[in-house]
Amino acid sequence: MTRILPKNKLDDCIAAWQKAGYSVLAPVQRHDMSSFDEVQKASDMALDLILTERTIKDHFFPQTEPLIKYKISKHDIDSETMTPPDKKRIFFGVRPCDASGLAIDDPLFGWDYKDDYWFRRRNNSVIVTIACAEADDFCMCTSVKLSPDSTKGADVMLRPLASGNGWQIEAVSERGTALLDTVSPLLQESSDQAAPVPQVAEKFDVEKVMEWLADPANFESQFWKDISMRCIGCGSCTFLCPTCHCFDIQDEGDTYQGIRRKNWDSCSFALFTMHTSGHNPRNAQSTRWRQRIMHKFNYYQGKFGVNSCSGCGRCTRQCPVDMGITETLQAITNLPR
Amino acid sequence: MIYTPFPMRVVSKRAEAPGVNTLKLEFVRQEDHEFFKANYQTGMFGLYGIYGEGESTFCVASPETRKDYIECTFRQSGRVTSTLANADAGDIVTFRGPYGNRFPIEQFEGKNLLFIAGGIALPPTRSVIWSCLDQREKYKDVTIVYGARTVADLVYKHELEEWKQRDDVNLVLTVDPGGETPDWTDHVGFVPTVLEQAAPSPENTIAVLCGPPIMIKFTLIALEKLGFTAENVYTTLENRMKCGVGKCGRCNVGSVYICKEGPVFTAAEVQAMPQADL
Repeated sequence: MTRILPKNKLDDCIAAWQKAGYSVLAPVQRHDMSSFDEVQKASDMALDLILTERTIKDHFFPQTEPLIKYKISKHDIDSETMTPPDKKRIFFGVRPCDASGLAIDDPLFGWDYKDDYWFRRRNNSVIVTIACAEADDFCMCTSVKLSPDSTKGADVMLRPLASGNGWQIEAVSERGTALLDTVSPLLQESSDQAAPVPQVAEKFDVEKVMEWLADPANFESQFWKDISMRCIGCGSCTFLCPTCHCFDIQDEGDTYQGIRRKNWDSCSFALFTMHTSGHNPRNAQSTRWRQRIMHKFNYYQGKFGVNSCSGCGRCTRQCPVDMGITETLQAITNLPR
Repeated sequence: MIYTPFPMRVVSKRAEAPGVNTLKLEFVRQEDHEFFKANYQTGMFGLYGIYGEGESTFCVASPETRKDYIECTFRQSGRVTSTLANADAGDIVTFRGPYGNRFPIEQFEGKNLLFIAGGIALPPTRSVIWSCLDQREKYKDVTIVYGARTVADLVYKHELEEWKQRDDVNLVLTVDPGGETPDWTDHVGFVPTVLEQAAPSPENTIAVLCGPPIMIKFTLIALEKLGFTAENVYTTLENRMKCGVGKCGRCNVGSVYICKEGPVFTAAEVQAMPQADL
């Protein structure tokens, strides 16, 4: 017997959470783009999507984040630090890869200097992961040692029932236990079996990849030029990545007032590293692609003991030139040694 | 909050060279000053800004022995630096920092010091120079080799004069061939060449080297010829930065974040980095 959340209780569940002061965010299909957004009822949710096109990163590290509001006069400046709204949120129906992405980024935003913006949003959020029932050809979680039913980054774990009538439900953190307490009357004990976890084929050998990347002799390999030849440097892969965290800080406004913002930036862009002098340490697309791969599978591992990839496959799925990380890592796996 | 800077009042501005200015800044708020005094050590950097334009990264050019103010020296080249260059006494600008690591000057005690700087790289070197000269008794011989393209491009001219007058500092000044004026009496030649001629002894000596990449490259060769080991040569690197605290993802050379693990490195550490990423 396990606890289950029946599908027909989901509306009551949402209502109970809203009553407890939470906003509920879930996958939604609006216009041409699927993403996480606030929902009012179960029918607003697009839970059958394999994966939303946009990641939940948008709600923790938004595309643009106001940092400081300022007003300028000749000898004085009036500035006010802005803070993210302190609103309790539940992310319902997060895929394991996206939930892992948050856990992967925590140490980066926390080393030495704590990024208050990230952690404020992290601390007011509860992640309800739903294990995958389906995978597509781009999914690659198993290649990065995760799985379609990984609980990494989750507070509550849901596993779809084979019957399709609901989910097995289990708290996997203290925050998750507290959340389930708010809806315990809606949960039932059942012997319904969970649906089988989909098979996600391993697309590359991450150990082999890491070993090749760690060899300094390969840093200037011709491989980087060949593999990145068709990259147009659009940055889509970085913006749609659940772990990419690079940003810019820009002032927007007129002469007398405005807002300093933290905006998404991308290692794919030439301006990202360009010095004022004109010198650019990463002056070719191949060097920028190398930075992206090295950062994810070598530098990040060295600093935080984890690769900065959760295997969602969006970089490949949504690449306008059909490139992506998978192809590069497959190629590295297959390089003659 | 993490990205909120300190307001700073401009005390004075000094023109150093064509397009190069030094701003002397004082703290507006007592608590910011206390924070700076408790944390600043020579070699660290900050992000200097003006609301409406943004922030730029440069070193703190004033020494850790003088923490009542911050001096920064910069070349006017982009939006932020152009606006900063137009600041007047009394204006409010911003400072975020101090960030990064430092020159371990307590490890330099009892040793000879050789400072080598090129062009606008004197400011970071100058912070270490004064940090040591202000406690002169702790160090042995002090040699400063400084060069610029032309006589006009030498920065801190009044301090160069002061160092020249001191008998406990050996100042070697040079300008690139063609950069001299008719009344120039110091050296003419590139820094690495002049350094080799001056031939400071590597014995019990720490070298602090700052300059444009091409100068660093050839000066390191000269230092090696003179017998310096890469572990005894310190330098400071710079890269484009936005956050200054290891998050925005752009200043790394290989796996090394200049903003957090640097900006101060030994030549041995720099040589271990992937050179193609510098």
